Amino acid sequence: MRAGMDEKLIEFAALLRDNGIRVSLAETLDAVDACRRVGLADRAAVYAALRCTMVKRAADGEAFDRLFALFFSGLGEVIKQASQAVQRELALSEREFQELIDQLAQLLAAHEGELSPLARELLAADSARLERRIRDAAREIRRLFPAPAGGQYRLRLKLAELIGLRRLERELGEIRQLVEESGYDPLARARMGQYVERRFNALETILQRYAGGETGQDARREREAREQQTLREKNLYYMSEQELDRIKGAVAHLAQRLKSAASVRRRITSRGRFDAKKTLRRSLRWGGVPFVLRFDKRKKDKPQIVVLCDVSDSVRNVARFMLQLMYSLQDLYWRVRSFIFVAELGEVTSHFRENDVGGALELALNGAVINVYAHSNFGRAFRIFAEDYAGAVNKKTTVLVLGDGRNNYNLPGDQFLGAIRRRAKQVLWLNPEGRATWGFGDSEMARYALQCDVVEECRNLNQLYRVVDRLLAR
Amino acid sequence: MFASIDDVVTRFAAHGYIANRRLATVVYLATGLRKPVLVEGPAGVGKTELAKVLAQALELPLIRLQCYEGLDEGKALYEWEYAKQLLYTQILKDKIGDVLRDTRTLAGAVERIAREDAVFFSERFILPRPLLKAISSEHPTVLLVDEIDKADQEFEAFLLEVLSDFQVTVPELGTLKAKHVPFVVLTSNNARELSDALKRRCLHLYVDYPDKQQELAIIGAKAPEARRELAEEVVNVVQSLRKLDLKKTPGISETLDWIKALTLLNIESLDHEMVNETFDAIVKYEGDVRKAQEELKEYLRRARVRRADGSDRDLLN
Ligand SMILES: Nc1ncnc2c1ncn2[C@@H]1O[C@H](COP(=O)(O)OP(=O)(O)O)[C@@H](O)[C@H]1O
Ligand SMILES: [Mg+2]
Repeated sequence: MRAGMDEKLIEFAALLRDNGIRVSLAETLDAVDACRRVGLADRAAVYAALRCTMVKRAADGEAFDRLFALFFSGLGEVIKQASQAVQRELALSEREFQELIDQLAQLLAAHEGELSPLARELLAADSARLERRIRDAAREIRRLFPAPAGGQYRLRLKLAELIGLRRLERELGEIRQLVEESGYDPLARARMGQYVERRFNALETILQRYAGGETGQDARREREAREQQTLREKNLYYMSEQELDRIKGAVAHLAQRLKSAASVRRRITSRGRFDAKKTLRRSLRWGGVPFVLRFDKRKKDKPQIVVLCDVSDSVRNVARFMLQLMYSLQDLYWRVRSFIFVAELGEVTSHFRENDVGGALELALNGAVINVYAHSNFGRAFRIFAEDYAGAVNKKTTVLVLGDGRNNYNLPGDQFLGAIRRRAKQVLWLNPEGRATWGFGDSEMARYALQCDVVEECRNLNQLYRVVDRLLAR
Repeated sequence: MFASIDDVVTRFAAHGYIANRRLATVVYLATGLRKPVLVEGPAGVGKTELAKVLAQALELPLIRLQCYEGLDEGKALYEWEYAKQLLYTQILKDKIGDVLRDTRTLAGAVERIAREDAVFFSERFILPRPLLKAISSEHPTVLLVDEIDKADQEFEAFLLEVLSDFQVTVPELGTLKAKHVPFVVLTSNNARELSDALKRRCLHLYVDYPDKQQELAIIGAKAPEARRELAEEVVNVVQSLRKLDLKKTPGISETLDWIKALTLLNIESLDHEMVNETFDAIVKYEGDVRKAQEELKEYLRRARVRRADGSDRDLLN
C-alpha cells in the first residue's frame, strides 16, 4: 500500500511538471513524507500537504487545484458514476447488480487467456485498475507527445488506441457469444448482454471526459502564453489600455530589474575591512591610541532614481506604459522621484505615492499637474528641471528619461541635459521610437544621445527586457 | 510538538490565533518534518503573528530577524565587539607590557602578541545577532525571518546556506553547529519573487485575507469587547473594500484597529455620522479614503433597502 502511495505521488508530480509546475525530486520526496504524516484518509489534509510541498509559486495554485481534483478523485469519480449509471439503466438493485457482475466473472474465468485485461477489468467493474490503466495510457501519451497537437479529439483517439479499445471492440462479439452459449436463463442472458453493451459505451464516455478535462486546460494555458508573447512583441504605440493592464505584472518585474541596474555594483564585504588610514586619523584625538577602530563597510549603493517621462498626446499610449513603469519603480523604492513633462515639467512623486496605478495615471494625464495638450518641448523641460530641481540630483542619482526626443523644432536645450548629467551618476534614455528614425524631422535624439550614458530603443516589452539585461550586465 | 492537525488548531486558538485547517496542516508538517515554512501573502493577514503564536504554543523562545534593504551578514549573524576589545587592551596595558618585556625587536613583539590574540577573538567578544543566537541556543527556538523579500538577493543566498546546514564558521573560532535545529518561519509580502532554491527548501504556505466567518472569529478572539452586530457590519464592509482596487488593501490589523476605534467611541452601527472620522484606521491613502467612503455609502443604502423589505414582509405576515 505504501509503495503504491509513493508511486502515485511520483506520477502526480510528473503530471504537475507536464503542466508547467516545476516540482523537483526533493520536493516530491517531501510530499511523500508529508502524506505519510497526515495519512491518506483526510482528503483536505492530503491536499494541504501536497500543496505546501509541491507548489511554491502562488501563480501555480490554480493549476494545482485543478490537477489535484482530477488526479485524486476526478477519474475515479467518473468511473464510479459510469458504473452507477449502468446499474440505473438496467433498473437493478445493488444486490442484483453485484450478482450479475459475479455471474459474468465466472463465465469469463472459464475463458482464461483469451480476453484482454481491459475487458476483464471493465466487466468486473474494477474501477481502481481501470483508473490506473487510463492514467498510465495518458502518461504515456504525454511522454510521446509533449504538446498534444490537435487537442481533445486527438488525445481521445490516442488514448483509445493505447488502451486497446479496438481489441475490446473485437472482443465484444466473443463475449456476447459466450453469454448466449451460457447456461443462464434468458432473462439473465439478456441483462448480461445489455450490461456488456453499456459497459463498453461507458468506457467511451470516461475517455472522453478524461481527455476533455486535460486538453481543456492545455488549450487555455497555451492560448494565454501565446497572448502574452504577442503582447510582449507588440509595439507600445498600438497597445490598448486593456492590453497595458494585462502586462502589469511584467512591468512591475521590469521595474525591479531596472532598480538593480541603477545601483552601483561593488564587491560587498559585509564583515567590513579594517581601515588603517581612518583609524589612525581618528586616533589622533587620543594621542595616537586607537580607541575607535574604523572599518570600511562599502555596500551596494542604494539607488536614487529620478524619472522624467514625456506624456504628450502624440505618445499617449507609450506614455501610459512608461508611467506604469515609473509607478512600479516608485512603488518599490522610496528613493525615486517622478516627473512628467510636455512643454512644462511637474513633479508627480506624491500623487504616485498616494494613489493606485489607475488613479495615478489619471492624475498624471488629466492636466492637473501640467498642460498635457501642449507640444513637447524637451529643451524647455530640461531647462526647468536643471534650474528648479537641481537638488534632486547628486552623484548617486540615475536619471532616466522616457520619451521619443521629438522636440517640435523648439530649441533643443541639450546643454541643460548635459548640466544634469554632470551632477548625476548617469543618464539613461529609453526611446520608444525605432533607432532608424532618430535625428530625422523634429527628432533631436542624435543631439541628446551625446549627453547620455546609455540610449536605448525600446518599442516593445521584449526589447525593454533585453535593454534592462544589458544595463545589468554593464 | 503537536499531536495532530487538530492539536495545532486548538493550541493556536488558546493563544488567540484562529487557524484554518490548511494552515494548521502546514504547521503540523513543518514542526513534524523540521522544515522551514515560507509564509507568503499580503500585509496584515497574520504571517508574523503565526510565528509568534507558534513559539507560544510550543513554549519556546522566539528569535526574530527583521529584514530590510541593505541587511547584511554582520547584522544577522554576529559582530565583534571592537569597543570592548579595545577597552580590554587599555585595561590590560600593564599585562601586555609584561608579555612584551623581554622582546627586543618590533617583529618579536608582534609575534608575541599574535600568540595571545585568541584571547581577544573569543566568544567573550562576540556580539551574537539573531541567526547566531538561534544556532548557539541551548534550547530549541522558533526563528522568525520576517519580510525576507525586503532583504537583497545576496542576503537571501546567505540565508539559504545557513538554513541548509545550520552551522556557521567564524574564522577566529571555528565552526559552530546548532545543538537544536530551530523551527524556522520565513515571511514575505511578495515585494519580489524569492529564489527557487530557497522555496524548494521550505514548505510553502500562502495566506490570503480571511473569509467572513474566520474574520469574525478573529475579532471575537482579539477584540472581544466589540458588539457582535457591529462586528458583522464591519466585516461585511471590509470584505467588500478588499474587492476594490485600492492602493493599500486593508488587512486583519486594519479590521481590528477599526472595530476597536468604533467600540471606543461607543459607535454602535455604521450609519453613525462619526464613522467617517474613524476611516483612517482602515484606509491610509487619500484616494483610498474616498473610495472607501463611497463603498460604505453604498453598503448602508443596500442595508436600508433590505431592512425596508424586511419590514414590508413583516407587515404582510
Ligand atoms: N488568524 C488570526 N487569528 C488571530 N489574529 C490574527 C490572525 N491573523 C492576523 N491576526 C491579527 O492581525 C494583525 C496583523 O497580523 P500580522 O501577523 O502582523 O500580519 P502580517 O505579518 O501578515 O503583515 C495582528 O495583530 C494579529 O494579531
Ligand atoms: Mg508582518
